[in-house]
Amino acid sequence: MNELMLNPAVHSPQEITCGAQQLREIAREKEIAPRTVLEVFEQWAAALDGRECREVPGLAFLRLWLRRGTLEPILHRELGPDFLNGGWREDGRARLRAFPLGVVGHWPAGNVEIQPILSLTCALLGGNGCLVRIPSGLVEITQQIMQKLREVDRSGLLTERTFIVNFDHSRADLQEAMAQAVDGAMIWGGAEAVSQVRKLPFPHWARLAVFGPRLSAAAMDAETWGDQAERSSWCRRIARDVWQFEQRACSSPQTLFLEQGAGCDPDEFVDDLKQALQEENRAHPRDQIEPSLTSGICLARALWLLEDGANRAVFSTSPDWTILLGRGIEIPKPTQGRTLSVLLVDDLSEVISKFDGTVQTLGLAVKSAQREEKLAQAAGHNGVDRVVKMGRMHLFSSPWDGVDLIRPMVRLVRHVRSQE
Amino acid sequence: MSTPVEIAQGIESQLKAPLYGMDPKERHDSLRALLKKELAYACERNPRFRNYVEHWPVDFHTADTLADLPYLPVGAFKSNPPLALVEANEVKRTLTSSATTGQVPSRVVLDAGTAKRMTKGVTTIIRDFIGPERRPYLVIDTPENLSTQGELGARGAAIQGLGSFATEVVCCLRRDPEGNTSLDLEKLLECAAKWRESEVLAYGFTYVIWTQLVQPLKRQGITLDIPNVRVLHSGGWKRLQREAVTREVFRGGVASVFGCSPDRVIDFYGMVENVGVVYPDCEHGNKHAPAFAEVVVRNPLTLKPVAAGQQGLVQVCSVLPTSFPGFLVLTDDMAEIIDYEECPCGRRGTSFRFAGRVPRAEVRGCGNLETTRYQLGQGNGSHE
Repeated sequence: MNELMLNPAVHSPQEITCGAQQLREIAREKEIAPRTVLEVFEQWAAALDGRECREVPGLAFLRLWLRRGTLEPILHRELGPDFLNGGWREDGRARLRAFPLGVVGHWPAGNVEIQPILSLTCALLGGNGCLVRIPSGLVEITQQIMQKLREVDRSGLLTERTFIVNFDHSRADLQEAMAQAVDGAMIWGGAEAVSQVRKLPFPHWARLAVFGPRLSAAAMDAETWGDQAERSSWCRRIARDVWQFEQRACSSPQTLFLEQGAGCDPDEFVDDLKQALQEENRAHPRDQIEPSLTSGICLARALWLLEDGANRAVFSTSPDWTILLGRGIEIPKPTQGRTLSVLLVDDLSEVISKFDGTVQTLGLAVKSAQREEKLAQAAGHNGVDRVVKMGRMHLFSSPWDGVDLIRPMVRLVRHVRSQE
Repeated sequence: MSTPVEIAQGIESQLKAPLYGMDPKERHDSLRALLKKELAYACERNPRFRNYVEHWPVDFHTADTLADLPYLPVGAFKSNPPLALVEANEVKRTLTSSATTGQVPSRVVLDAGTAKRMTKGVTTIIRDFIGPERRPYLVIDTPENLSTQGELGARGAAIQGLGSFATEVVCCLRRDPEGNTSLDLEKLLECAAKWRESEVLAYGFTYVIWTQLVQPLKRQGITLDIPNVRVLHSGGWKRLQREAVTREVFRGGVASVFGCSPDRVIDFYGMVENVGVVYPDCEHGNKHAPAFAEVVVRNPLTLKPVAAGQQGLVQVCSVLPTSFPGFLVLTDDMAEIIDYEECPCGRRGTSFRFAGRVPRAEVRGCGNLETTRYQLGQGNGSHE
């Protein structure tokens, strides 16, 4: 299995079926307690500090995710304290214990470099074997990260439960073989990709966790962005959120809503934001871009300014960053590629009332806790699944998209003793 | 409102300059100076355009190079109403691009002055490649595309743009009542017999020539035997690439049905947003910017002009339009700069080779909502 992990190209359905069968046997025969998984993850996080992986986008998030301090509370919340040791817990006259589903198939999207790893860690915590299809563009990065796991997981506890595969997305026979071989699936990506995977012939017992396409926005109240002392640090936070994953992640802010207030000058804010974006660009310059994204960015700038003489924009001569400033209470069509619409509004509540299930994350910067409470409540009512501090929009955590990450990949077995 | 005299004279002067013979730096300087005047005029005429130009990171008044001037992406011409610098009553014609199914076409408005310069620009360029003589003109299209009324599509504009070289015009395709197009073989053979000894001009869209003329004639084993024909074609290769028809295969196929040498088959690049400018291939397979236009190829990562030998996004520049702001247009095409000075064919200035359309991004992932909420028919959220 370890060798397969480093050479993921598969060519026949049999390779997938056989690999999955091995994973299933290992998952069944060699139980692994979540506490043990956490120990390996902790070492993995430390190993990822090396120079080789430093350039992988999102690696800091991944390292944080793998820490015991992050995962233990999640396991505790999702499955209870006894789950950590892999034991039974009493539940009235019965007892309950989590068991792995068996083999979990992972279909990560191609836009977030660390997503294959995030996805498989969820299923590994449930004791499952993992069959992971890596999008072509992420093979090298995934191998780099998995190599670090190999180095710390000397006895192969986790690596033997992992089968990483890569094949062209148009290979229906391999997609079908993968679906038929799993007991559960974690499916991530755009609408079309997700619906294609859902149509595959999964066994009727397979449990599917689907994380489909969403978008995200941020919002600041007037008190916060009008505060000169704090404004630049908030601008750095939103710049960081914009920068990660080229704004192609579901948690990427596409629009920042600024609630207007007396004495608040949008020009001053835009100046600070421009500086923050320039700093981010200096620290993390692009080394490549798809020409179509460049075209899209140029078009977004032009259409915004041509559409309304009152619209304004600040952008670099390159496609590096773009601020589109105007008024409006709805999220405009996202451009991605570090193109942030900054919209002035009279009342953030009005903006949030327009949200629907499309919006995954709302990044907030609001001075009054009471006000924030109200906005969070309204966001929840309007389909938003995550309300977080601006600057932490990508922080991967459970629940994601409103659902648990580990619980869906285990079965809770109920045992009522026969002698009672 | 007519074009300011200073601008009109500047355009005339560029139109009269040696087409491919100017010193590249001199040409750049005169184009930049004229384009600055045109930009200022366009800003006066269209407040939306002025808003765009005013937000450009470089003030165009002080721009040192032509590449620093504010350019519009080609998609901006899909707006409705079209971006115009003239009043509606001054519009003589609206040109539309050949958008593929489901896409919105570009629309550009021409006043009398721009329309006249469009014809002059195209004629001057084509003359340099095929000579000034008038000759029989075989249009590989249907007569419906010759219509001079109302909106004119890219095909019609290209067909009409070559009309000044014609002594007579014959369309060799016909459309039946159901709208199906087929070759009018009888008419074609009649013309071929009549024109055997003559210099002849033929024009059609690339895929139309291949599917409606070359393939049917080849199937029937017919050669037209017009050795002195010049076959001009334009309109992109996308459809033919899907059928694995390369440029060489195309040229060979066309030459074999006409019974001419393959070097008489000339591909040219043009777009309605870049009125009056076409870029035919020279005998070395390169395209050239004429005295009244320029091509900037930009690195997609930096948007700076690339060095010779490198590929990037094509920006076309032209001083000819004054009825719409099509002076500096960033296209969705890719090209490679061959040289900035001179081509072995003797033409001076920028030479380049077209390298296809900008490849559409496949990876959209979990942040891609275009197939759900925004329904724009682009990007598919693929896992690849």
